[in-house]
Amino acid sequence: METIKNTLDFSDFPRIDLIGAGLVLIFLLIFPLLPLSAFAMATMIQFLMFSIYGMGWNTIGGYGGQVDLGKAQYVGIGAYTTSVMLIRWDIPFWVSMPVGVCLAVGWSFIIGYPLFRLKGHYFAIATIATSLVLKDLFEVWGFVGAARGLEISPIKYRPPDFLRLIFKEDIYYYYVLLGLFIIGLLYINWFRKSRLGFQLRCIKDNENVAQSLGINVRWAKVKTYAIATAFVSVVGSFHACYIKNIEPEDTMSLSISILIALMAMLGGAGSLWGPIIGAGILIPLKSYLKEWLGAKAGLVGIDLIIYAIIIMLVSAYEPRGIWGIVEKVRRRKRK
Amino acid sequence: MDILLSSIVAGLLIGMVLAIVALGLTIIFGVMDIVNFAHGEFLMIGMYTGLLTAQATGIDPLLTLPLAAAVGCLLGILCYIGFIKFLLRGPMIAQLLGTFGLMLFLRNLALLIFGSEDRALHHGILVGKSFDIGMGIVIPATKLAAAGLSVLSFWGVWLLMNRTRVGKALRATALNAQGARYMGIPTERMNALAWGIGGGTVAVAGALIVNFWSVNPFMGLLFTMIAFAIVALGGFGSVPGAFFAGLVVGMITEIPGFWDFLTYTFNLDWMAHVPMTSFKYMWVYLAYFVIMVLRPRGLFGWKQ
Repeated sequence: METIKNTLDFSDFPRIDLIGAGLVLIFLLIFPLLPLSAFAMATMIQFLMFSIYGMGWNTIGGYGGQVDLGKAQYVGIGAYTTSVMLIRWDIPFWVSMPVGVCLAVGWSFIIGYPLFRLKGHYFAIATIATSLVLKDLFEVWGFVGAARGLEISPIKYRPPDFLRLIFKEDIYYYYVLLGLFIIGLLYINWFRKSRLGFQLRCIKDNENVAQSLGINVRWAKVKTYAIATAFVSVVGSFHACYIKNIEPEDTMSLSISILIALMAMLGGAGSLWGPIIGAGILIPLKSYLKEWLGAKAGLVGIDLIIYAIIIMLVSAYEPRGIWGIVEKVRRRKRK
Repeated sequence: MDILLSSIVAGLLIGMVLAIVALGLTIIFGVMDIVNFAHGEFLMIGMYTGLLTAQATGIDPLLTLPLAAAVGCLLGILCYIGFIKFLLRGPMIAQLLGTFGLMLFLRNLALLIFGSEDRALHHGILVGKSFDIGMGIVIPATKLAAAGLSVLSFWGVWLLMNRTRVGKALRATALNAQGARYMGIPTERMNALAWGIGGGTVAVAGALIVNFWSVNPFMGLLFTMIAFAIVALGGFGSVPGAFFAGLVVGMITEIPGFWDFLTYTFNLDWMAHVPMTSFKYMWVYLAYFVIMVLRPRGLFGWKQ
């Protein structure tokens, strides 16, 4: 009972935040009813996916302060588990997704335990290395289709198939994902007030103090790493059903890992709204820039140049992200 | 036996080149504790500099080395003054993502300017020549020259670091920036110098590698990761460490050769079916992971 109350309790935010969040939620709920192009819909689904990735990353990277640049390997584990199980044994999404989460979390314990001997830069680069090792393995592993990847052929199933999550229209995917999004948001809201959440923030501020207070630092980090992994893996499974064609290059590449971390940082790492704001800005920007400048004007790479400039500006001038700016303004007003 | 020997020779030769690739990274890390993700992109720019100058003027690619060094050095200093200086104030995550942004910027700028196709050199005195030193070992002349010149420039940088006043100041900044500032060392300028040396050496490495490797805008990341592995093994911030670790990592990239040797020696059928060449770089990443977990300081490291 206490847990449920904590999950739904947003009362420590100022009222203006809650009004804003409510408006965004209403917008998200009615979005598919607006007469917009399929491209806008696809962008919106991307936005929801990346905000869930970002929420997951935010637990370990934002609240815990451990910069993880290897999240893409768990996207890959989730996506591959779901598509292998669907293609080979016809196991529906709602069964294969938990299996994928278990596999991903198991793998995260295996590599997380040695990884958390490291700190700072060393940890960040080591996570990249593990992600690349796994990607190289998947690129030659014949069982999962090697470098060509796997393809779920939608012809075999009769859409709309709610068990296997095979639909023709994006609107079904949208609402399934929105459900996951809301569950994720409520979980994070509980998480930030839980025992582990407070322990993590203590670890972020000062690890020695945390240790002297009797917190098992490494175990707390490994547990949170597993939570972040579960988030990422669930959306990875969804990604497999949504895209239907997965290959190591676009599920496990370094750019996905970086995008996840970047989004949380741009919005403001360590806050509940941060990853959502970050994804809400970066994803539409990225896909529309690509559409207008890359595809229409024929300038290959220009979208990523602009995107890189944004990254550079944010990291140089406002490393605490957009939420950091908002809080700065609020603090000034209060004075 | 000849497979084994030629793998060892090839590993050592490529290792000497990789050592100079990693040298800049380790100096930059040593002086200001920043991990430069754009390091491989500097290499790519060095490669394009060497390639395009050689193609435009018709001179031998090896003669473009001073130009590549100048371009890399200038670019490094420019990046420091224009961007990295501001990053140093922020938290670590901002530094990581900031240099990643720099990498994305340089890579896509190269893509916009040069296009995505592979380019390779086809002329030059050494291209296509090789020495046969017996026992079935054939050394391509370009690789030998690249290894020799790498060792030479490595030695040059080592002399600069250990035998000059500037080098002493640089090492002092690396040991304790605040203390160095109290002693009147202009640490800002030392940081810029570290970026200059870093960019210059890695661009030289690029101009050497272009003799036997084709170039495209996406190749930077692979070399960045290899350089990370070398720096981790040698110890973050250690110059002699980078050299020996470079040789070791060069050997690691030749693991497919050793695998072939074992396959033929013991005549094992299952070994021939393992697609070892696809795993070529995986061993490097794996080595990085294992080194970091078992000995985070590396072989010669002094930074924790």
